[in-house]
Amino acid sequence: MSRVVRVFLAYLRAKIGVMLQYRGEILLWSIWGIINPAVLYAMWSAAASGNENQSIAGLDRGGFAAYYFVMMIVGHLTGAWDVYHLGYLIRSGQLSPMLLRPVLPIWETLADNLSYKITTLMFVVPMWALFAWLVTPRFETSLWQVGMGFIAVLLGAGLNYMLCHTAALLAFWATKLDAMGEIYFGLCMFLGGRFAPMNALPGPILAIAEYLPFRWMFAFPTELLIGKIASMNEALIGVVIQSVWLVGVVILYRLMWSVAVKRYTAVSG
Amino acid sequence: MVRALRLMTLFVQVSVQNFTAYRFDFFVRGLMSLIHVGAELVAVWTIFNNTQSLKGWQWQHMLVLVGVYRIIAGGIRISIVPNMRKLLDEIREGTFDFVLLRPVNAQFLVSIREFVIWRLTDVFLGSAAAAYGCYSLLGHVPVKQTFVFIMMLAAGFAIVYSVWLMLATLCFWFIRIQNIEMVFWNVFEAGRYPIVIYNPWVRWVLTFILPLAFITTFPAGSLLGDPATGVPPSAPYYALLIATVLLLLSGWFWRFGLKRYAGASA
Amino acid sequence: MSQIEINNLCKTFRVPEREGGFWAAVRSVFRRRFRDVRAVDDVSFQVDEGEIVGFLGPNGAGKTTTLKMLSGLLHPTAGEAKVLGHVPWRREAAYLRRISMLMGQRSQLHWDLPAIDSFLVHSAVYDIPADDYKKTLDELVQLLDLGDVLKKQVRSLSLGERMKCEICVSLLHRPAVLFLDEPTIGVDITMQTRIRQFIRNYNRKHGATIILTSHYMADVTALCKRLIVIDHGHILFDGSLEALSEKLAPFKVIKIDLDRELDGYDLATLGEVLSVEQRKIALRVPKADAAAVTSRLLTDLPILDLTIEDPPIEDVISRVFGQPKSEPKQPANASSAVSGGAAR
Repeated sequence: MSRVVRVFLAYLRAKIGVMLQYRGEILLWSIWGIINPAVLYAMWSAAASGNENQSIAGLDRGGFAAYYFVMMIVGHLTGAWDVYHLGYLIRSGQLSPMLLRPVLPIWETLADNLSYKITTLMFVVPMWALFAWLVTPRFETSLWQVGMGFIAVLLGAGLNYMLCHTAALLAFWATKLDAMGEIYFGLCMFLGGRFAPMNALPGPILAIAEYLPFRWMFAFPTELLIGKIASMNEALIGVVIQSVWLVGVVILYRLMWSVAVKRYTAVSG
Repeated sequence: MVRALRLMTLFVQVSVQNFTAYRFDFFVRGLMSLIHVGAELVAVWTIFNNTQSLKGWQWQHMLVLVGVYRIIAGGIRISIVPNMRKLLDEIREGTFDFVLLRPVNAQFLVSIREFVIWRLTDVFLGSAAAAYGCYSLLGHVPVKQTFVFIMMLAAGFAIVYSVWLMLATLCFWFIRIQNIEMVFWNVFEAGRYPIVIYNPWVRWVLTFILPLAFITTFPAGSLLGDPATGVPPSAPYYALLIATVLLLLSGWFWRFGLKRYAGASA
Repeated sequence: MSQIEINNLCKTFRVPEREGGFWAAVRSVFRRRFRDVRAVDDVSFQVDEGEIVGFLGPNGAGKTTTLKMLSGLLHPTAGEAKVLGHVPWRREAAYLRRISMLMGQRSQLHWDLPAIDSFLVHSAVYDIPADDYKKTLDELVQLLDLGDVLKKQVRSLSLGERMKCEICVSLLHRPAVLFLDEPTIGVDITMQTRIRQFIRNYNRKHGATIILTSHYMADVTALCKRLIVIDHGHILFDGSLEALSEKLAPFKVIKIDLDRELDGYDLATLGEVLSVEQRKIALRVPKADAAAVTSRLLTDLPILDLTIEDPPIEDVISRVFGQPKSEPKQPANASSAVSGGAAR
């Protein structure tokens, strides 16, 4: 077992302990991930019922139920918030001790991310079940799509985490990162398929979304899991695109990090 | 009463001074307000790109609702959130003791100390959106309904204040619930859309248990006076009633929490 | 006439308990254990108008809890108290207007604003008439030497400057009773001295009744004629400084001045050697043995001069509580010097 992995597992254990202490708080955090898709399900199914064919972008009420039920889960599993968190660590001076450790700080923040996702499962899984029971989603998913969907969620989670963390590195230059954070989450909402399925977006917005990584974090895994991506070919292409984005963002992260640390040590001495 | 007003004016003055010290922020913040409104307009665009009407609400109706949502959210961020944040910080750090040492009603004092003036941009932009929606639907802005509308906004604001006070009071028991703010915004999220989109029991909960309907949907509907929105004509009366009841209830709960803080009922 | 009168005051807290470690954290999710802690246990005393009383005790002894009950921040579990004729925890505006509490570790000033803005708010909250406000402020600014400190943002002030502002704001409404909880914590020695001086002058000039807690013994010895020592919620002692050292220190310090250097004479059998400076030596001996040791010394050694003293109060109290003093006198070094000298 490599040293980094051992350190990471130690972090993870410790962070889970911390999260359990703050269980009340993290429960409150996880509620957003339930309410937001639930509200959007209600809104879109109401909108669809006003149309003659009772559907929007190929999804009827049951289809929207499946879409937002899966989005609820995908959103939880691929979520990242370093763009807020890292800025806070820098401003509060908590980053300095992290820089002293012989491991990149990203492993510690990643442990934060995973420990949150793991510990909140005991709250969110029952809520997911409750939501599914209430809205009766209709799936058209076959087994291979579930398998591919699983891979797509993992890649999406990695991609979102890395991009979010990389964007957060801008905190080394800018003092007001809240604005950055809100823009990042806005892009995830509108261009990632969290607000509306990709096919329901107005043409110009869809055109922008095509060239950005956000849809590969949320919309793509979700579409796979509800069976909207019919051909294996299309699924494979999607996974390849996800991987290419991921590799690109990791490279970007390495570049940004080396510059950022130089700046941090030069400025805050 | 005169003294209370004077105290409040003084706090506003101090906030304005404080704000002018950070002028650069204003531009960033103003930009953020614009982006928020922009995002909400994109949402409306997306919705009506796919349908003609959301259970009787057309895009003009939705614009009014977007406006109301912005105005109320702006109002909350101008005074309620900063005051309650300060309160929660003080309870956690122990400086809340100083509030209790003051010869002024503690509930009043903790509610008026902070004002985030630049958030007025949200109120302006929201008013503009509401006015434009109203104008493009009716061809004019009706005077009488505007009065009712403002009264309903005030009632909605009072309801939000009461809810916040109760949430903050919980902090006397659970010191670490700093994220209580998240809960509020989470539930408030459901107020972005008219409550007619929800199924009947959710609608019932959002009207009578978490009275979100009175905060966004009903004020928006009462400005338009359009039966298609599904807002009952009696809504203003109920709004006043609920606001009064909640103000009383939250005041009682606050005093109960204070007793607990001082260890009188522990 | 006593301004503060408390009888059999008790306060019990319930605190959650948990062991360290991962599984303890998991377990505490499901089951929390609590323990009752008696922070203040049957405390009674009276304070007269214009008195300055020092409240002493180790951390967690119940000092702050008692002050909080007196200022109306905490409701006692049992017992009674009257301050200025009011029951503090009823928190009547008329009462709050006449007291003030300063907590050295907590700031009541607005961090982002100049102190003068916080003062203005304070004057409105306490409804101080404009004339009185101006007069009091002028006086305090002069006494505390605040000058242009008032116009600087509080976050940019030094700790000492900030503490002076905290003191100033606490006194703006001219409280008749003042609770000072660690008023000099963290500030440097010169500033401590100046703050002490100010408190003494203020007390003389306005006759305010003051209860003071401090970590620094010097604060207490300089300001308070009367001390109340509290430990584990109980009052151990209530009386004058001298009486305290009498009670807590059954020791005398014998200082001798020798004609020539010691030559292998074993002082350690007679008492604890405190210091050796060439031919000057200090010895601590039990009070009862003082006479016997003195005569032994006089017969055995070529003594030029001998004095018997009470040990300094700081030493006495820090020996009782094991607390650090403001200026450590390095007794450890002194005794090692002795053993070195004895070997020579």
